[in-house]
Amino acid sequence: MINSPTISLPQGVRDILPEESKKIGKVESGILAIFEKYGFKKVITPLLEYVEVLSLGMGENLKDRVLKFIDPSTGRVVAIRPDITPQIARVVATRMRDYPLPLKLCYNENVLRYQEPRDGKSREVLQIGAEYISAKASPEADAEMIIMGIEALRSMGLKNFKIDIGDVGFLRSILEKLPVSEQEKDLIKEAIAIKDTSGLEEILNNSTKQVDKADRGLLLNLTTFYGEEEVIKKAATFTKDKATQGNLDYLQNVVNIITEKGLKDSVTIDLGEVRGFDYYTGIIFEGFASGIGKPILGGGRYDTLLERYGYPCAATGFAFDVENIVAALDRNY
Amino acid sequence: MSNLKKKSWDDTLTIALPKGRILKEALTLFRAADVDFSEILQDDRKLIFENIAEGLRFMVIRSQDVPTYVEYGAADLGIAGKDVLMEQGKDLYEPLDLGIGVCRMMVAEPKELGELDNPKHWTHIRVATKYPNITLKHFLNKGIQVEIIKLYGSIELAPLLGLSERIVDLVQTGETLRKNGLVEVEHVMNITSKLVCNRASLKTKPKRVKDLVDRLSKAVAQAKEPTQG
Repeated sequence: MINSPTISLPQGVRDILPEESKKIGKVESGILAIFEKYGFKKVITPLLEYVEVLSLGMGENLKDRVLKFIDPSTGRVVAIRPDITPQIARVVATRMRDYPLPLKLCYNENVLRYQEPRDGKSREVLQIGAEYISAKASPEADAEMIIMGIEALRSMGLKNFKIDIGDVGFLRSILEKLPVSEQEKDLIKEAIAIKDTSGLEEILNNSTKQVDKADRGLLLNLTTFYGEEEVIKKAATFTKDKATQGNLDYLQNVVNIITEKGLKDSVTIDLGEVRGFDYYTGIIFEGFASGIGKPILGGGRYDTLLERYGYPCAATGFAFDVENIVAALDRNY
Repeated sequence: MSNLKKKSWDDTLTIALPKGRILKEALTLFRAADVDFSEILQDDRKLIFENIAEGLRFMVIRSQDVPTYVEYGAADLGIAGKDVLMEQGKDLYEPLDLGIGVCRMMVAEPKELGELDNPKHWTHIRVATKYPNITLKHFLNKGIQVEIIKLYGSIELAPLLGLSERIVDLVQTGETLRKNGLVEVEHVMNITSKLVCNRASLKTKPKRVKDLVDRLSKAVAQAKEPTQG
């Protein structure tokens, strides 16, 4: 190392020089223009928050990845935000109750994720996202978020990408009525998360209480219910349960709205996606560009989030990972 | 590189295969699934092979590198042992157990020690292994403090030379352990090779991935039949 330690950078953060900054700026302004077109208003949230306030609105996978320290003036533990969504929830619940619903907000901020779960690295992430807060959940709102995502990516000239749509509410409805223990449910979720059919079979064969045949068939097939929208209909043939059927109908509605807009080619379905299971409540989605192993956008519905900040209403939202989008554009597809 | 890139992103699937023992077993499975890449075995200096008719590209790399290539999307799919996957903990789909490379991960120790030893009474042990993460997790879950000595090969030597009392390693037939005067004392997990898939590849090329998984899973089922019957 040539640099002396006094002028080096901590792990996980970096400088962005003019050439790259220009590319990032283009992506940012492209996204913000689409947000504006759909009537989303930008808010600016603070870098620091009290840990306990942030924690109300964070998924389990984020909680361990927050950079915390003690504020010398008060002795309380503060954190650098690892995600903007809990902040938006706090702002809406504490400051914007008199704004009429639906409330459409967007942001363009940096977050810090300390210790990525897999590679152990910290990372500063540039996040541009939108949140749609309404009195009740509606397929129209979910579809609007996905359509905005597609429009924004297309406006930047990105061609080969897919928005993959799933529904954690669907799996939740199935798991809820299974007779097995909570621990076994977690194992089932883990196996489904990596589409490990044989592992799932083993768990079901060895479960304390037997899972009935129909549910078993549905669970084992869940690992293959990905691809075109036909998988929704396929899944429907496996279940007579009202709640589960309701989840599938809702998802079908979302897909229909996207299809009406002529954007069907940009979406895929994955009913076995369980990312953020503890955090989201319904439709979830992630964007993938060819050749980029990591998602370029991600989000979903979290109807219990604002309630945790004392304002019971429905919400859906998503954020773009700006650097991954720049990487995708650089590949010139 | 430039001519590899030319193919449409939708058309080609890149598959990372591990060098060594598993490669031949994988070849048999792929052949049963109507995918031939036997030319791989003919020239062991060439690293990339293309099956243009099928739109498949194969590369042969070290088994420990397979999860990395697939995680970053440099390969869409790969074949990796459960041992490597558990040790590295990468974010990958594991859509199919290929039923090849079957072995078990065990705790072993010298025969003389084994005669008096009771794993239930362990509280603090020293273990040599190629798999420090799996070993740590296995013993911590049991409330046993473990001092891990990470080695890169010939693990069986460690107890013979007093480097550690015990080892955690893969056992296939048990022959190597016997020859070195070691006995198995505790089962850690069963190992087979898995087909792994990059998340973005599964989402952006679902048809191609599903087609290959289906064909391979039929081949796996066929391969199982005679022994089960």
